[in-house]
Amino acid sequence: MTATTRPMSPLGEARFDRSRTQGHGLADDLRSFRTAVSLGWSMEANWTDPVLFLIYSVAKPIASALILVFMIDVIAGPAGQPLRGFVIVGSALWSLVLSGIAGLAWAVLDDRERYRMLKYVYVSPSPFVVVLIGRGIARLAVGAMGAGITLFAGVVFLGVTFSLAAVDWPLLVITLVLGTIAILAIGVLMAAICIQTRQDSWTYPEAVAGALFLVVGAVFPLSALPDPLQVLGLLSPLTWWIDGVRQALFPGGTSSIGGTGSAWYRITGSLNPSDGQIVIALLATGALVTLGSAIAFRASEHRAKDRGTIDRTTGS
Amino acid sequence: MSGLEATKSAASRSGVPGQAGRRPPRVRAFVGAPSSGPRESAAWTRRRIVANNLHSVVGRAYPRVRGLTREPSWILFEMLLPFLTTSAFVFVYRALDAPPSYIGFVVLGGAMSAFWLNVVWMMAAQLYWEKDQGNLELYFAAPMNLMSVLFGMAAGGLVMSSTRAVVVLVVATVVYKVSFSIDQWGLLLAVFVLTLAALYGFGMMLASLFLMWGREAWHMTQLMVEPVYFVSGLNFPVGRLGMLGAVAIALIPLAVGLDAMRQLAFASTGPTGTPSPEIEALILIAMTIVFTILARWLLHSMEIRARQEGRLTVRWR
Repeated sequence: MTATTRPMSPLGEARFDRSRTQGHGLADDLRSFRTAVSLGWSMEANWTDPVLFLIYSVAKPIASALILVFMIDVIAGPAGQPLRGFVIVGSALWSLVLSGIAGLAWAVLDDRERYRMLKYVYVSPSPFVVVLIGRGIARLAVGAMGAGITLFAGVVFLGVTFSLAAVDWPLLVITLVLGTIAILAIGVLMAAICIQTRQDSWTYPEAVAGALFLVVGAVFPLSALPDPLQVLGLLSPLTWWIDGVRQALFPGGTSSIGGTGSAWYRITGSLNPSDGQIVIALLATGALVTLGSAIAFRASEHRAKDRGTIDRTTGS
Repeated sequence: MSGLEATKSAASRSGVPGQAGRRPPRVRAFVGAPSSGPRESAAWTRRRIVANNLHSVVGRAYPRVRGLTREPSWILFEMLLPFLTTSAFVFVYRALDAPPSYIGFVVLGGAMSAFWLNVVWMMAAQLYWEKDQGNLELYFAAPMNLMSVLFGMAAGGLVMSSTRAVVVLVVATVVYKVSFSIDQWGLLLAVFVLTLAALYGFGMMLASLFLMWGREAWHMTQLMVEPVYFVSGLNFPVGRLGMLGAVAIALIPLAVGLDAMRQLAFASTGPTGTPSPEIEALILIAMTIVFTILARWLLHSMEIRARQEGRLTVRWR
């Protein structure tokens, strides 16, 4: 605000503007969000050599995909070629999940344990969760880049058959948007956990993602799992998101949810879920997870203030 | 003020003018026995140096071992969830109708990954974190060899990751009915111990490098997980990688140790196209020696460089 617009007293002194303490609602939140995204991106990327950064960003998802490709090749040989598309899409999307879940949790740990700024961020007028989501978006963007390059490498170097003309764009856009919200919601949940735990929780997001990896059909169909685990998988939005993206990119391909031995088949009687069912299930499970995360985050925030963990630093 | 200066100052304060002929009162300098002055205090016997460094090892290992009981969430996130990650790869093989020994490969790989993660996160990157937290300057100022800190970190980390490895190995073996066929128990145990020695030697070496690389260290930790899992053949026989696998066996302790243990734990699976366990045990011995020497040299070089450039206390870079 310039001197000419600032409210002045009759003596020419700047007066306290009460309306500023109330903020500008959504406009302020958006500004905080933009700043947090920019800060997150700067912390992630702007200080290193771009080529080196690219290597860092894509090495992890590509290596994850290659592990699975070799596992298939060792057992199935050339006959396993059709399965490559299934595992490459799954592991590429999983790098997005990992980045999304870890981004928010690591923002908490980074600011609290390394930069020791969390308490200042917390007491700033910006909503804490908005700042965290902004920071997480930057890492999600890095993950998205890794996922895109993994898919590209899969098509170009690993013989995955893919046609741009065949892509179901509406389904892809809808599932990507809903899936991203669900991933961020799980990230908020992890941030809520990491506010309570010690410095060593850097590895917690990966542990949670690794556990979810088992039940969401990322790299093998759910029908390979026992029934209780399949049902657990059906309750996760990530399962529907991955299957939705798979169906959008490879229409008519193998579904990770359906199949003759699947719980889905036994429950619904249909072999595979339709696109509409995928979107509705993603919406419903995503809403549940988002609601749960919001409640957990609020409770964690309350406990952190009560126990003084917002500015606690630990070591081991 | 350094420890020596502090002692001198304390000694000078204790001297009373006009009592030159009298024996000065004995002062307690540093943390040892009372002495007549700073010179005597500074002249440590070899036994005392060794004892002090052993105390340092125990002191650095203590928070890691004791911390196991102070963070209950650790049980869920570090022991139970990693078992589920390993299970995911078991189900990949089950979905492919793989032979049972491959499920054993995955379980063994899942157990050993606990040590690798510990080496990457809590050895290699640790000195960098310590610098960020402001502990590193205290380590340098303390009257001990910095290698003691590294050994302490390794000892504590070993205990931490052993719990996770044991849980993954035992639970997965029971749940997925893994059957081992072991002919040479002694060699298997020796290879396991040598693998841990080489792994933590590697971690001690990386600790200095990561400290030098600064913020790159963060990304290096990322680069050293899945890509290393892939070239080490964590979930499949490393021999299938051809030349890449051979290079991994020559350079990465996880690759060579895992391959040797698989050959010994699943003797009935036949040749894997890699060196015999005996030769791989020799490679592990060589790795342990080379990594430990390199760790010592790098730490010394890094200390000299950091002192010259005044970067020991520069954080967040």
